Amino acid sequence: MNKVSLFIPCTVDILLPEIGVHTLRLLRSLGVTPVYHEAQTCCGQPSLNAGHLELARKTARHMIAIFENDEAIVSPSGSCVHMIKHHYVELFEGDRTWRARAEALSPRIFELSQYIVDVLGIRDVGASFNGKVTYHESCHVLRGLGVSDQPKALLAGVTGAEFVLLANADRCCGFGGEFAIQYPDISEDLVKDKVKHFLASGADVLILCEPGCLLNINGYLSRNHPGKRAMHLAGFLSENIKGHTR
Amino acid sequence: MPHDARDEILSRLKRTPRKDVPARRELPPLNELSLDREGMIKKFSDQLWLQTGVVHRVADAKAALEKLSEVAREEKLEKVMVATDSVIAPLDLPAWGAAEGITIFRVRDFMNRNAFKHAVFNEVQAGITGADFAVAETGTLGLIHDKDQARLISLAPILHIVIVPADRFVAVYEQAIEEVFADTDRLPSQFCFITGPSMTADIQATPFKGMHGPRRLIVIIIG
Amino acid sequence: MRVTTHRFKAVVKKEIADLSSRTFLSFLPPLFAALRQAAMASFPDPAGAHAYAADIRAEVVAHLPELLEEFERNATGHGAKVIWARDAQEANEFILNLAKEKNITLVTKGKSMVSEEIGINEVLLGNGIETYETDLGEFITQQLDRPPFHIVGPAVNISLQEICDLFMEKAGMTEPTMDPVKLGYAARLFLRDKFHRVEMGITGVNMAVAETGSLINVENEGNIRLSKSSPRIQVALMSIEKVVPTMKDALHLVRVLCRHCTGQAISAYVSIDTGPKRPGEIDGPEELYIVIVDNGRSTFYRDLRAREVLRCIRCGACMNNCPVYTTIGGYPYGWAYSGPMGQALNPLLLGLEQTQDLYRACTLCGSCKTVCPAGVDHPGLFLYYRTKDVEGDRAFGGMTRHWKETTAFRLFTYGTTHPWFWNLASKIIRPFYNNGARDGMVSELPGPFEAWFRSRNLPAMPKRTFHEEWKRIGKIPAEGPTHGSAPE
Repeated sequence: MNKVSLFIPCTVDILLPEIGVHTLRLLRSLGVTPVYHEAQTCCGQPSLNAGHLELARKTARHMIAIFENDEAIVSPSGSCVHMIKHHYVELFEGDRTWRARAEALSPRIFELSQYIVDVLGIRDVGASFNGKVTYHESCHVLRGLGVSDQPKALLAGVTGAEFVLLANADRCCGFGGEFAIQYPDISEDLVKDKVKHFLASGADVLILCEPGCLLNINGYLSRNHPGKRAMHLAGFLSENIKGHTR
Repeated sequence: MPHDARDEILSRLKRTPRKDVPARRELPPLNELSLDREGMIKKFSDQLWLQTGVVHRVADAKAALEKLSEVAREEKLEKVMVATDSVIAPLDLPAWGAAEGITIFRVRDFMNRNAFKHAVFNEVQAGITGADFAVAETGTLGLIHDKDQARLISLAPILHIVIVPADRFVAVYEQAIEEVFADTDRLPSQFCFITGPSMTADIQATPFKGMHGPRRLIVIIIG
Repeated sequence: MRVTTHRFKAVVKKEIADLSSRTFLSFLPPLFAALRQAAMASFPDPAGAHAYAADIRAEVVAHLPELLEEFERNATGHGAKVIWARDAQEANEFILNLAKEKNITLVTKGKSMVSEEIGINEVLLGNGIETYETDLGEFITQQLDRPPFHIVGPAVNISLQEICDLFMEKAGMTEPTMDPVKLGYAARLFLRDKFHRVEMGITGVNMAVAETGSLINVENEGNIRLSKSSPRIQVALMSIEKVVPTMKDALHLVRVLCRHCTGQAISAYVSIDTGPKRPGEIDGPEELYIVIVDNGRSTFYRDLRAREVLRCIRCGACMNNCPVYTTIGGYPYGWAYSGPMGQALNPLLLGLEQTQDLYRACTLCGSCKTVCPAGVDHPGLFLYYRTKDVEGDRAFGGMTRHWKETTAFRLFTYGTTHPWFWNLASKIIRPFYNNGARDGMVSELPGPFEAWFRSRNLPAMPKRTFHEEWKRIGKIPAEGPTHGSAPE
């Protein structure tokens, strides 16, 4: 049995806990029994993005101490994985001890779909879905981690699901954390554009691997196009596995 | 002022910590390098055609002059500025012009820059030059500018006619540049790669040829 | 050029509502992006060619002073005069004095970003010297007194009507027309007379080759070649980072630059100048002045991270792929350089204070960095600038942030490092946050998050956080009751 540890980002913890639950169920259904360190909080990305590096370092030390004894850490968020995998190392550029600890942690953290496909070698999780799906290539998942084939492989493995193309799938949805609040004019325009392409794709559901994008896109859909929705890959797969009930 | 500034800027740049850069990665050779002469001529012609360049191929110098006559008639050329570079000089274009009733201007016909500029900007309908190189890679002509290859002949008139012998073809830019820059004591004041006529798309992204330079480019390959 | 970087948000509002700007943004950058990909495919190894260009630029930045000295030595050796300018004022003064000394009354300019940075046009015009931008797009923006909308198409968004009116008024056009080609030819006719009479040409430099002392210009219109061929005097303006080691490197960069800029394999003209014209040549400059402009670069060069911005070759690929630029266009950036290129460069040239929005208005999506052939890590630089601003680093013009923001982040950090506080805070916030939630959605919230709710909802906070869910389902093995426990 793999010794896998769950990292549940703060947005998921507080606003979207069902994604965490689905992640847990999905992994369990694949024979993985993850542990969850209850002392975890947030990766500190908001501090880093705002330039508060000293604060981001504090958070990073807390998180490194929590996760550094795990063989593998899995998280349903590309940007939080990217933060720990890449930015933690940079944060401690001038600090040999912590840099070494960050570097040791870096290769052991995985985005969920990456872990399932690349580490477990599973492409068919046993889900089935009668309808059309499409996929939004979240920035940090695609360009940050280079993860794109893995979630699409998992979608291809869903019996009955028809994959349709999303135009400009790799263009940012306009979330960007604080950006969405500081520059609402630009952010709104970007999410509107993303939703426009989703509606035009004819897909029943838009799948993604990033809770931030999910908040943004679903936040816009629920206001302007109720009845349409985006789903986190974990939720989509877990909900559609035979025998799994909501 | 200049020297103070120079020393100040350079010393600031030098006062900084050094940073090693990793060795360059490998760059695989360009595909064009495997082309033989016919392959180069074909690639050149195809590429230049994409830029609306017109390419003719003739057997020898005599045929080149005949082709030139044909072009001159079609274009109703009356006055032409010609270079005296190593491709053009042997063709004796003044004699050709006399026979065709076309006035031929050469740089040596002008007292000074202003007189030359007046003619090349306002009087002639075409410029005829040789090319020192034809680069297969992108359908590009290479011109060494010197006293026999004035810059404005290939630039100011609305039509640029280029004559290039088949033995001037190279596969990639580097082969031309290596030759031009081989003797560092005799570098040309300007070397120019020309790929098609002058162009722009600056108004409403509408592309058209002939913005400031030639609107059309005709190439005659000899051999 | 006026600097209006501090008006970013206001100009964004205006531009987002501008139909003409939006029309061009909807097709031009994606078109350039597609053309770039197609053009790069002609390399046997496109990714390798991309990376090789970045390697060259990394070397340039690392060896900048030595390369500049080598370039100067060789350029001077071939008869060019090299002038160094610490800042915009020194560069402008030199050019103005030269023009006065030589009794110059007419100047034509090739497109040069650094000339816009130092604002030479205003200086020459202010001293009664007729000065014309001659790149068609630059000509239009100069006559309209606008900043460039796009580095490749500075006036591409300007309507035909506006160009027609402008050309009737200022470019000697006699018949109104709505035909872009006819408008272009009207500009050709007008500027042709200037090219004929020009006494001093001012051009930029795409690459300055250290090995030979040569200057390379990449262009399509022929206006740069004309500005280098017709007048007796040529001034070539270059910022210090334009230097490249060898001619071979330059050729590779030309290939990559053209493909990333316009999607062309090569531009119509690539001209390589080494020294002024030789005796016996009837055209070309008798005197060639190369003005090397520092303008603050050697100062931030000492910062090993900031200096990497000097890799930039001004191809514009970053803006064509930027979600922010392609939404707002070039005007909000408020200066010569727009898009991620400007967001990376302007804060260092102008200071962090008046460029706040440039390094903050970014979703950190990483498209610019991915596409950049010079290897600039734009988002990394933006994060770096934000840090310098937070720290109040005066060398960068950093300001420190408002105490409210700092306090909020301190509190947040306390939470992230004290799980009991984190979990307690979630509990305490819940009723306030959920107050007014309907059907599981919050649609308004006063305070700092207000802007979010203009067009978006957020989910209400569920009854239990994941931390709390875990206590219920975490200890139970895979099968059985797990599936029955539904998140609310």
